[in-house]
Amino acid sequence: MPTTTSSSSSAASSSGNRQADVFSRLASSDPEVKLKALREVKNQIIGNRTKKQSFLKLGAVPAIASALSECDNSSILVQSAAALGSFACGFEAGVQAVIDAGAFPRLLRLLTSSDEKVVDAGARSLRMIFQSNQAPKYDFLQEKNMEFLFSLLNSENENVSGLGASIIAHACGTTVEQQLLCDAGVLEKLVILLDGSLSQREACLESLATVLKSNPEAVSRFVGLEAGRYLSSVTELTKDRYPRTRLLSCLCLVVIYNTSPSYFLNMGTKSSLVTTLLELLNDPGQSGNEAALGLSSLIAEKEDLQKLAYEANAIKNIVDILKTGSELHPKRLQGLFLSLAELCSKLEDCRCSFLSLEVLDLLVNALRHKNADVRTAACICFKNAARSVKNLSAGRFTTDHVMLPLVQLLHDPSSAVQVAVLGALSNIVLDFSSPKSTFIEYGGIKQLIELSKSMDPNARCSALRALRNLMFLADNKRKELFYSDVKAQGFASLISDPEPTVQEQALALLRNLVDGCINSIEFVFDEDGLILDSVARQLRKAPQAQMAIQGMYVLTNVASGTELHKEAVMQQLFPQPQAESNNFMLKFLQSHESQLRSATVWTVINLISPSSPGALDRHVKLRNEGIIPQLKNMVNDACLDVKIRIRTVLSQSMSFGDN
Amino acid sequence: MPVRVVESNAPAQVSGTDPGNRSPLPPSSLLSAGQAFSGTQNVSNQQKEEAWRVNVQIQGVDLEHGYLCGTMEALNVPMADTPVITFWEGEIVDGKNYTFYTGKWEATREDDMRHWSKFPSFAPLQGQVETDGGRQLDLSNYPYIFMRWKEQYFVNVGTDCGLTIAGFYYVCFSCSDGSISGFYYDPNSSPFQKLELKTVNEGRTGFSFSSYELQ
Repeated sequence: MPTTTSSSSSAASSSGNRQADVFSRLASSDPEVKLKALREVKNQIIGNRTKKQSFLKLGAVPAIASALSECDNSSILVQSAAALGSFACGFEAGVQAVIDAGAFPRLLRLLTSSDEKVVDAGARSLRMIFQSNQAPKYDFLQEKNMEFLFSLLNSENENVSGLGASIIAHACGTTVEQQLLCDAGVLEKLVILLDGSLSQREACLESLATVLKSNPEAVSRFVGLEAGRYLSSVTELTKDRYPRTRLLSCLCLVVIYNTSPSYFLNMGTKSSLVTTLLELLNDPGQSGNEAALGLSSLIAEKEDLQKLAYEANAIKNIVDILKTGSELHPKRLQGLFLSLAELCSKLEDCRCSFLSLEVLDLLVNALRHKNADVRTAACICFKNAARSVKNLSAGRFTTDHVMLPLVQLLHDPSSAVQVAVLGALSNIVLDFSSPKSTFIEYGGIKQLIELSKSMDPNARCSALRALRNLMFLADNKRKELFYSDVKAQGFASLISDPEPTVQEQALALLRNLVDGCINSIEFVFDEDGLILDSVARQLRKAPQAQMAIQGMYVLTNVASGTELHKEAVMQQLFPQPQAESNNFMLKFLQSHESQLRSATVWTVINLISPSSPGALDRHVKLRNEGIIPQLKNMVNDACLDVKIRIRTVLSQSMSFGDN
Repeated sequence: MPVRVVESNAPAQVSGTDPGNRSPLPPSSLLSAGQAFSGTQNVSNQQKEEAWRVNVQIQGVDLEHGYLCGTMEALNVPMADTPVITFWEGEIVDGKNYTFYTGKWEATREDDMRHWSKFPSFAPLQGQVETDGGRQLDLSNYPYIFMRWKEQYFVNVGTDCGLTIAGFYYVCFSCSDGSISGFYYDPNSSPFQKLELKTVNEGRTGFSFSSYELQ
């Protein structure tokens, strides 16, 4: 209605006029007027983002910063510092404005004031700034900085000592810095704050986590302080009545656990850590956001903890939060999806439970989220849930609804999203010989081939893994579709990639291509056997075991074909002229990797298969090249599978009259 | 010079090993994802002799968790218009994740022993299994792998197809030739329906292997 619009417009205008009025008074030469104006600004912006923005636009921050430097009236200094702190509190543009206005060194100077109130206000304000990533880097390597830091930590003023802890939490990023701080005795200083006020405790927990992260030496030093008393204190704080304290103590324990798991042998401690983090997920504020990431970090790669979390109903709890319908903070969404991803990473029960809660819509929506971290987390969640062969086989992920947004993400501007979606797709495309593939219908093969030529080796590797999975038990139509795009020359380049991991995936893909229908072996003979030549060339270069395994299975599969195929393999194994020969087969049989020995013996089995007419001649050649004698030496191979296969070869040998 | 292959028919015994710390069974190349088997299941009863042709494909193997899964296709099922495909999940008896005792699916220890003892390769183990459930057996070097396969869902027909997947199979796999024997157990079906499968090579003169990798 016109009247409402007019009224709200006039209200906004009146508010704007008031702000302009207060702003003009900030520059007053009358200390009383200035002080009043500072108080007004501070009171108006506390917890009010909109007003912070309005005052920021008016240029209030530089005005307040100059008030800080131009007078020595302690009340004005206190109010200026407090106002600047409010601008910086949880508002990145405010932090930037305070720093740009040159207020940071002025605030630091306040700490040397003889007036306790001024010191306190300066410390509070600086703590707000050090909550932000934009705060200036603090160089611990400079001796005077370290002295200053300790003077802060030694202060009786809780905001000043808390500031010391906040500086550590903000600025300590490297092992060298961690070591330097530990050597200077910072842990001994920090633990004193654990018994201090709420704000000191919280600052202390944050900085402890920073100093201990991924540093076993620092953790050992911390745990050794007063025979583990402070580890117990941190553990005790996970039951504190304040959620933020509970969270920060949990995060500190997560860091200690991830760095040195041996201090957490007690299942009860692990279990209570999981339960506390799960409870904190329901906190609607920042603590809830951080708890989600903390949980994912705690359970990452740890099957025992994943089981504990699963038994504590983590999947249902998380899915319930995701299903609340309210808009969740991107950090929380990221943490929740990553936690779900970790839960689904190893345990099939978790995957089935997760998928039974009808979560695919949630995941699909997250794939379209504007925040790249959320999209990445959703892709990782898809990837891990799709480790369930049971659900893959049931075609749970291959609907248009799921496949289309995933394929679209292959063009995502964020490279992290691209890598994550490749991971998800490489699992999901595994549809166990179902002739119809939504992925292929969306042009997925062409996109993967394109990505297999990427400059990024990880992307090449992931794309080839996806193609390998797509060709697993594929029919000839699908194989032709792929091959017609890549051709012999393209395939040979992939096999000769400079990265061993890429070569391995290319060979594994080729192994699948020549499996199945016997006609598919012909792919390796295209363009005068260019592909088979490339395989053998790589095998002669003393490759890494994992690559050699795939290469030998290519030869095994080709050798399972016709007489011509077997002879072609023999030609690659023992090329003419002899000078070119490099008896890699013999080396592989002596490998420590049992799977490589097994793959090599399978090639021999296929070459001398009794149903093929040239088997006897090939046997003679293999004997003369030392392969059969080597196998005779391996009859007691440590690997049962290899031992059994060798027995097959030797029994065949005996039928050829070889004793 | 002929070389005698060292062969041990009886598995070694381990003393005082905590099953939780026991290693999973080592991989067997013929029992890997992608391998296909073909054969029959004898479903004869007192009224008539009958056998269904059966194809099995392994789709996943996770030895660490004693898990494998795949599909089973029954070809000439009388009441079905098309071959009936089911998805099954298997438990590998490795002493770490699973023992010879089923402990579920309406199978008592007596049922277990009655079925396992039908496999000749179980004979060397029987005494130990009867003594302590086989907890002391180290099966990692034994050339047979014992499993239970339980069908989970119908892949290509509805649950109203008139067939049941209520039971499960006691299975014995021979690492040497890849042959599979099994006995279907369902208290409500004909007892000891025998499953016999051999590896399939798709017209090749040798063995072929594919693989996938889940990230």
